[in-house]
Amino acid sequence: MFDNPKIRINELSVGYDDGTQALSDVCLDIPENAITALFGPAGGGKSTLLRTLNRLNDLLDVSISGEVMLDDTNIFDRNVDVISLRRRVGIVFAQPIPLPFSIRKNITYGLELAGERRRAKLDDAVEGSLRSSALWDEVKDRLDDSANALSGGQQQRLCIARVLALAPEVLLLDEPTSGLDPISTAKVESSLQILKQDYTVVIAPSSIQQTARIADLAVFMLQGELVEWGSGEDLFSAPREKQTEEYITGRFG
Amino acid sequence: MIRLSRHHTERIVFAVIGLASVATAVPIIIIVSSIFFSGAEAVSWQFLLEMPRDGMRSGGIWPAIIGTIYLVVGTGLISIPLGVASAIYLSEYAADSYWTRMIRLAIVNLAGIPSVVYGLFGLGLFVLFLDLGSSIVAACLTLSIMTIPVIISTAEEALRAVPQSFRVVSVGMGATRWQTIRRVVLPQALPGILTGVILGLNRAAGETAPILFTGAAFFLPKLPNSIFDQTMALPYHLFVISTQVPEMPITIQYGTATVLLAFVLIMNILAASVRSWQRRKREW
Repeated sequence: MFDNPKIRINELSVGYDDGTQALSDVCLDIPENAITALFGPAGGGKSTLLRTLNRLNDLLDVSISGEVMLDDTNIFDRNVDVISLRRRVGIVFAQPIPLPFSIRKNITYGLELAGERRRAKLDDAVEGSLRSSALWDEVKDRLDDSANALSGGQQQRLCIARVLALAPEVLLLDEPTSGLDPISTAKVESSLQILKQDYTVVIAPSSIQQTARIADLAVFMLQGELVEWGSGEDLFSAPREKQTEEYITGRFG
Repeated sequence: MIRLSRHHTERIVFAVIGLASVATAVPIIIIVSSIFFSGAEAVSWQFLLEMPRDGMRSGGIWPAIIGTIYLVVGTGLISIPLGVASAIYLSEYAADSYWTRMIRLAIVNLAGIPSVVYGLFGLGLFVLFLDLGSSIVAACLTLSIMTIPVIISTAEEALRAVPQSFRVVSVGMGATRWQTIRRVVLPQALPGILTGVILGLNRAAGETAPILFTGAAFFLPKLPNSIFDQTMALPYHLFVISTQVPEMPITIQYGTATVLLAFVLIMNILAASVRSWQRRKREW
């Protein structure tokens, strides 16, 4: 179905130090320039999987086995530079969490960390990434205002923009529209459709409906296991597994 | 047995609580106002900026003021970097292990030690063993040991109050741990840290016992020239002129107390305004 995997996950298992097994033997190829949507009931391991893909779980005590190949490198390899991995694989969280800076500084923060000092470069990144996340027109006249002055929907698009400013290859989104109203949600979704032309997008959507709307590859996860995956249309029109069908039709979850 | 209605109980409880708060405020108001009232006539530019004369019975208290400023600045130079660095370590880097628990326990206990014990410890370690003599540097080191626990615990609290999500976001954008601390966590915690620093130094400015054996002089005819000289200091000077000098004019005693009190009060007001600035500035 997709013959251009950007990320190949092989027998990935993740356990937290309190003994819960968040992921068991997950195998999945994530295609380039497409939207891969992980969906399923809460506690299915979607967030864990996303946070494993840029090793953000390193901050917690987790035990990991298996491998995640990004292009041709295993990201758990000893000589992988975690900092540059996180720059290649950016993440957007469920809650929009702007850093306590101005709008502009939120965008330039990641680039400045990487050592970019040139004003012109930073300005270009600010405009480019805000345009990509469909926020530019709303904030272009007040870039130096506090990011907290923005509405929830604007904050979330700012959070997407600041990840885009780093020019990542993969964009991870963990329920990015869960706190947003329908109009803001539509804006984020339509910007994702444009973004997938340049990025590999992996998203845990906020709802089944959203999964159906945006997924090129839909992946159903249940209690840390992949139950079934397939192209968005196939999976929603003709699920193969009973559990998938029951979840989609609203019998549980 | 009389049963009171809920309404009456409420009134009685409010009255008791209200009285308790008045009772705590009244002595402070009396002390401060009586000292300021009696000391105001002694305080003048001459009093502040002149050397003492006639065995301290006239003239000013300039060497004691400048000495206290030296001690506070010196103590700050030692205790702020050490205290803030320890707080960063405890809050951001240290795992919850046996050793960090021991460190925390030590900090809590240090904060409860009577100040005269610090003085004797400073005498033993800095003055005698390290042979620094009774000097500004020995006094500053002693005061630092007393101040550091205050700075560590308030700074650690301020650092922990910064939401964890900021750290996750920053690291998620490719920041190292130190970049995250320096660019996000520290600026957000700064007002809280400053409050702790001011409160700690405030205590250092007002204490007599720790400097008694380590650097405070009874009387010096001239200002100290180096950090290895002794110095006069306001709290010790007040003690001296109140108890050790016969026929001391009472106005000078009150004047000195007024200056010391004003010094500490100004630092307290500074701490309070830093705190309110922090609340207005905070974005979470």
